Amino acid sequence: MRDQALTPLVGGLARPGSAPRGLRSVIAFSRKRPSFLVGLAIVAVTLFLAVFGPAIAPYHPERALPGAGLLPPSPEHWMGTDVAGMDIFSRIISAPRIDLTIALVSSLLAFVLGVVLGVISGFFAGAPGLGRFLSEGIMRSADILQAFPIFIFALALVGFRGPGVENVIAALAFLNIPYFLRVTRGSVLQVRERPFVEAARCAGNSELRVAFVHVMPNALTPALANISPGIGFAILLTAALSFVGAGVPKPTPEWGSMISIGAPNMMTGQWWTAFFPGVALGVTVLGYALVGDGLRDYLDPVKRS
Amino acid sequence: MRFAKYTGRRLLFLIPQLFAVSIIVFFLVRLLPGDPAFLMAGQFATQERIEEVRRDLGLDRPLYEQYLIYVGNVLQGDFGRSWRTSQSVLQDVRQRLPATLELVLSAGLLSVALGIPIGVYTAVKRRGVADKVLFGYGMLAGSIPDFWLGLILIFVFFSKLGIVPGPIGQLDPIVATPPPVTGMIVLDALIAGEWEAFRSALWHLLLPVATLTLVYMTLIIKNTRSAVEEMMESDFVEHGRALGLSRRMLLRYALRNAMPPVVTVIGIVFWFLLGGAVLVETVFAWGGLGQYAVEAVVNSDYAPLQAFVLLAAVFTLVVFLLVDLAYFLIDPRIRT
Repeated sequence: MRDQALTPLVGGLARPGSAPRGLRSVIAFSRKRPSFLVGLAIVAVTLFLAVFGPAIAPYHPERALPGAGLLPPSPEHWMGTDVAGMDIFSRIISAPRIDLTIALVSSLLAFVLGVVLGVISGFFAGAPGLGRFLSEGIMRSADILQAFPIFIFALALVGFRGPGVENVIAALAFLNIPYFLRVTRGSVLQVRERPFVEAARCAGNSELRVAFVHVMPNALTPALANISPGIGFAILLTAALSFVGAGVPKPTPEWGSMISIGAPNMMTGQWWTAFFPGVALGVTVLGYALVGDGLRDYLDPVKRS
Repeated sequence: MRFAKYTGRRLLFLIPQLFAVSIIVFFLVRLLPGDPAFLMAGQFATQERIEEVRRDLGLDRPLYEQYLIYVGNVLQGDFGRSWRTSQSVLQDVRQRLPATLELVLSAGLLSVALGIPIGVYTAVKRRGVADKVLFGYGMLAGSIPDFWLGLILIFVFFSKLGIVPGPIGQLDPIVATPPPVTGMIVLDALIAGEWEAFRSALWHLLLPVATLTLVYMTLIIKNTRSAVEEMMESDFVEHGRALGLSRRMLLRYALRNAMPPVVTVIGIVFWFLLGGAVLVETVFAWGGLGQYAVEAVVNSDYAPLQAFVLLAAVFTLVVFLLVDLAYFLIDPRIRT
C-alpha cells in the first residue's frame, strides 16, 4: 500500500470522469485480473467477520480460561492460546470488528474532508482573490504536515489526547486527509479545463456551485480508487499504535495488541501467540491493497488497453 | 558559485518551514485537557515543581508570548524535563539519539545499496522470474507490520537457530561500552579498535537493520525499476541504440537520467524509516529515541514526547533539503 502514496510522483493518475460503467465490464476486468478477485474475497471475509466474528467464535474473545495458558495449536484451540488463556482463533476473528470500524470511519472522514479541501484548492488555484489564498493555504498546510512521519504524528496525537478508540479515529482521519486532498486536487485541475465547466458558468451558476455540483462529481475517481488502500493503511496504523500501547486498550481483541501480548512468548518459543495476528494483518492489508490496485487500473483507460 | 546561491536560497526556505513545524508542535501540547503545567510536571510532582513549570512555560502570559518563550527555550536547548528519568530532556536525547541514528542510517544505506542494483537489474531483465518474485515481495512487504517481522526474525534466528544474539539492546551485557566518540557503538568500537565490542555491536545491529531493510527496500526497488525502465524507452536512448552504443553505455546514460525520482524516493524511505525505527526499537529494546518516545506516550510524560516530535520533523525537513540539493547536483537543467 505504501507505494500507493507514491503514485502521484511516479505517474499513473486515473483520468477523471472516464470510467467505464456496467457490471459486465467489471466482471470482464476481474477475469483478467485474478489478484483483484482475491482482494475482493479477502475484503468480503473481513467485512463478514466484522459483523459476525464474535458471534461465531468458538470461545468468548475476552474471557481467559484458567490453567489454559500458552497451549499450542490443537483441535480444541486451532491457533492455540495466549499467556492469559484466551483462545487466539476466537480473538483473531473478533478483531476485524474494532479494526474495520476504526479504519472505515477514519477513512470516510478523511475522504470527505480531503475531497472537499481538494476541490477548493484545485478549483480556485491561480484564481484571483480569496479563492487563491484559500487554495495556497490548504496546500502549504498539507505540505508542512508531511514533515512529520505518519506513525510518529499519530503517536503524538494519541499521546496528547489520550488513548481510546475515538482519539485513534480522529488521529487517523486527520493524517489521511492529505492523500485524498492531493489526488482530488490533481483531478480537479484537469476537469476544470473541460468545456462543460465553462458552459456551466455561462448558464449562470455561481463559482461554488460549479465547483461542487459540476466539477467535483467528475473528479472523484482517483480519490475513490484510493479508499481501499487507505483502509488497509489505517488498519496497519491502528495495529502499530495498539502494539505500543497507544491504541485500542487491552483486552479488546485487536491484532496489533495481540502481537504485543504475544511478543515475549516469541522469544521463549511459543510462536503461535504473535504469529497468527501478524498473518491476519498481512493478508487483510494485502487484500485491501489488491482491491485498490485493481480499482485504480480499472479506472485508468491507458492501463486497460 | 551557483551551488552556493542555490543552497543559500534553499536554506532560507527552511526557516519558515521550521517555524511552521514548531507552531504545530507547540499546539500539540495544548490539545491536552487540563492544566498544562500539572501535566508537564508529572503526576508525582510537588506543588513547587508545578509552579516552576508554570513559570517556565509562561502560562500566565498570552498565547503568542507562550509560543515565543517556547521557541526561545528550544533554541537554547531547553526542552523541559522528563519526570520519569528526572533528567533534562536534552540529556535524555543526547544519550539516545546516536542509537536511533545508527539504526536509521544503517537501514537506509543498506536499502539504497541493495535496492538500486536490484531495481536496475529487474529493469534491464524484464518479464523474468525475478519480476514476479519482486512483485509479490513488494506487495507483501507493504502489507505486513514491520514490528511483527522483527519478532518473526527474532524467533527464527535467535530462538530456533541461535545464530544471532537476543533482543536486549545494542551490546552483550558482558562487553564494555567503547569510549564514546560518535555515540554510535559500532563506529566507536571501530575507532577504538575494540574488536570484541565491534563484533558484538554488529551482531546486535543485524536483526533490527534487516527488519527495516526488508520492509522498506521495496520502495527503492520499485521506483528505481520504473524510473530506469522509462529512461530505457526514452528518445535519447533510442538514438543511442541507433548509433550503435553498447548496452553498458546506454545503461549509464539511462541511469544518470533516472536518478531524480530515485533520489526523491530515498528521501521518502528515510521518512518511513523514522516511524519504523520507533517500532523496531521497541521490539529490540534498542534504547534509542523511538523507545524513549513510546515510553513517554504510555506514561504521559509530555515534555519528551513534544521534543521527539519536533526532532523527527526537523530531521525530515533536513532530509528533504538534502534531496533538493542532490537534485541540483544531478540535474544540470535546474542550474540554469
